[in-house]
Amino acid sequence: MVALMQCLMTWEQMEVSILSNDILLQARDIKKSYYVGTPNELEILHGIDLDIRRGEFVSIVGQSGSGKSTLMNILGILDRQTSGKYILDGVDISKAPNKALSSLRNKHIGFVFQTYNLIARTDAIANVEMPLLYAGISEKKRRARAIELLEMVGMGERMHHTPDELSGGQKQRVAIARAMANNPDIILADEPTGALDSKTGRLVMDIFHELHEKQGKTIVLITHSNELAAETPRIITISDGNIISEKINDKEGVA
Amino acid sequence: MIKENCKLAIISIKANKMRAFLTMLGIIIGVCAVIAIMTVGNSMTADVKKQLEGYGVQNITVYVNPIDWEADITEADYQNMRLRPEVLHKLSEKFGKKISGISVESQMETGTVVKEGKTVNVNVTGTSAGYYKANKVKLINGNSFNEFDYSMGNNTAIISDKFIEQLYGKEFKPENLLGKEIEINVGEQYLNVTVVGIYHYEQEGSVRGGNKNITTNVYIPLKSAWNFTHMEEFFECTVVAAEGVNAAELSEQIKDYLTEAMANNLGDKFMVGAYSNQSMIEENTKTMNQMTMAISMIAAIALIVGGIGVMNIMTVSITERTREIGTRKALGAPDSMIMLQFISEAIIICLIGGIIGIVLGLILGNVAVHFMGYTPHISIASIYLSVGFSMAIGVFFGYSPAKHAANMNPIDALRYE
Repeated sequence: MVALMQCLMTWEQMEVSILSNDILLQARDIKKSYYVGTPNELEILHGIDLDIRRGEFVSIVGQSGSGKSTLMNILGILDRQTSGKYILDGVDISKAPNKALSSLRNKHIGFVFQTYNLIARTDAIANVEMPLLYAGISEKKRRARAIELLEMVGMGERMHHTPDELSGGQKQRVAIARAMANNPDIILADEPTGALDSKTGRLVMDIFHELHEKQGKTIVLITHSNELAAETPRIITISDGNIISEKINDKEGVA
Repeated sequence: MIKENCKLAIISIKANKMRAFLTMLGIIIGVCAVIAIMTVGNSMTADVKKQLEGYGVQNITVYVNPIDWEADITEADYQNMRLRPEVLHKLSEKFGKKISGISVESQMETGTVVKEGKTVNVNVTGTSAGYYKANKVKLINGNSFNEFDYSMGNNTAIISDKFIEQLYGKEFKPENLLGKEIEINVGEQYLNVTVVGIYHYEQEGSVRGGNKNITTNVYIPLKSAWNFTHMEEFFECTVVAAEGVNAAELSEQIKDYLTEAMANNLGDKFMVGAYSNQSMIEENTKTMNQMTMAISMIAAIALIVGGIGVMNIMTVSITERTREIGTRKALGAPDSMIMLQFISEAIIICLIGGIIGIVLGLILGNVAVHFMGYTPHISIASIYLSVGFSMAIGVFFGYSPAKHAANMNPIDALRYE
């Protein structure tokens, strides 16, 4: 019950903040190094500054090895930066204790992976329910919300199928429904169409556009494809661990 | 949350049925062995206890034995050390109301009774007045011997209903034999006795060959037996402690008293011993419990080995599902939930194994008890113990792999190939 109240509160807060169009995500001088303190210390990100506002659809584009995935992992709180400041929805992540991170991921972030990462042997509806379960929402409410989400992505008919009974496009649609479960502030999509053919890839992209336009979701799309990036209103190009260009796309919504 | 975790665990166990079963096998065998052994042990203890109680809890067996059986002992020594009637008389005077009777028996050679071509074997036993109480002989017709029978050594007898059935058939009414004389052939002599009482013969266990081969006792007064055999001494007697008297304590007192009273006769070659059934029951139960415990301990090793199997499988299962763990973490699963998920899985594997083991163990134990001829006696405590123990194994051996899963770095887990 308390969890639900909290949820409602965040939704409420969100609506207020959409109106104020404030900054949702703020990264300052983010650096990430591996093998810290050893002779072969390797710096992947060289100080990224990034602001993302509520309701934005941003693509981060770059070649493989450019550091875009590392950046996404830090933005998604899956990994911690070596130095720099990261504030998500007013919370300074760099200061948050490890224990609080899972709850932050659960409530604020929805992930869509290239390889779907659905839980095997578990049907679509149970997959979508999972973030709700971890948020402590009651079984009845979980079920209702999962059905609503699966219908939204056009998977209402195949709710009880396990991942191995679904095609790639269907899996990715379930994954998007799952990412939306707790109505997160931001959806992080890492090469979401990378494993799909162009037709199903198109379908998945259309869902993102719909989420952005109709529900005002903040979406960050990580991709190596300039073509896909061109669909989004704002394009950030990353190369060798630095942001090298940023542009506002005039052809917004053109697909 | 518990329910969700159990569901997850069951999904995962179902997905790898064969592996889960093989993992369980260790637990199944361990629990099965513990339960079977405890069932057999408990049944044996209960049966032996019941049997000993049947002989009389208040009975104290008093005997004289050589200190060293190998020592050089002459026939004269043996004559000297025996329990004599006057010693027993003094004993009963000394302890008075603490003793409700002293039973001695003078076992004679097996005798035979022949009637109309039928031959029935009997044991002729001379008895003291205390015998009937000590041995729980139940009279169904007639009377016990009177003072006169005991003091004069009259040729009177108490016979069993079984004996009458053997000799006269089932139709014959036992009371018709009261006051009648029967002739018993003992060795090369004949003993003629008048039947004064009939007791009920209690069959112990099953006897091969049916009724015909059962040998029952024919009781005659002690004096009568002495008259017949010309032997008046005993190696052994049974003292029946009065109700409310601690038989174990009394047996020690009797032993001390007789050791002192018979000091001259015993010399340095013999000793008086006394033990009560009570102390024997306690001793026996203790020994049996120790034995059951010892064997159960060995079986418990099987359980621990089974537990290590569970740990192994959990480690494999967690490695296999590293990406799943990463995904769950990305979706916001707290470490505690991941931990709970895998511990639940380990507990459920152990619990299912434990329950199968209990069922198999009960079947095995009861079959074994049946063939050994004891009355089955299921120990509920051992069932609770096994359930608890197998769950504890699940927690204990599931903890470390589950902790490992919970502590995984989400990004490393997600990237795991």
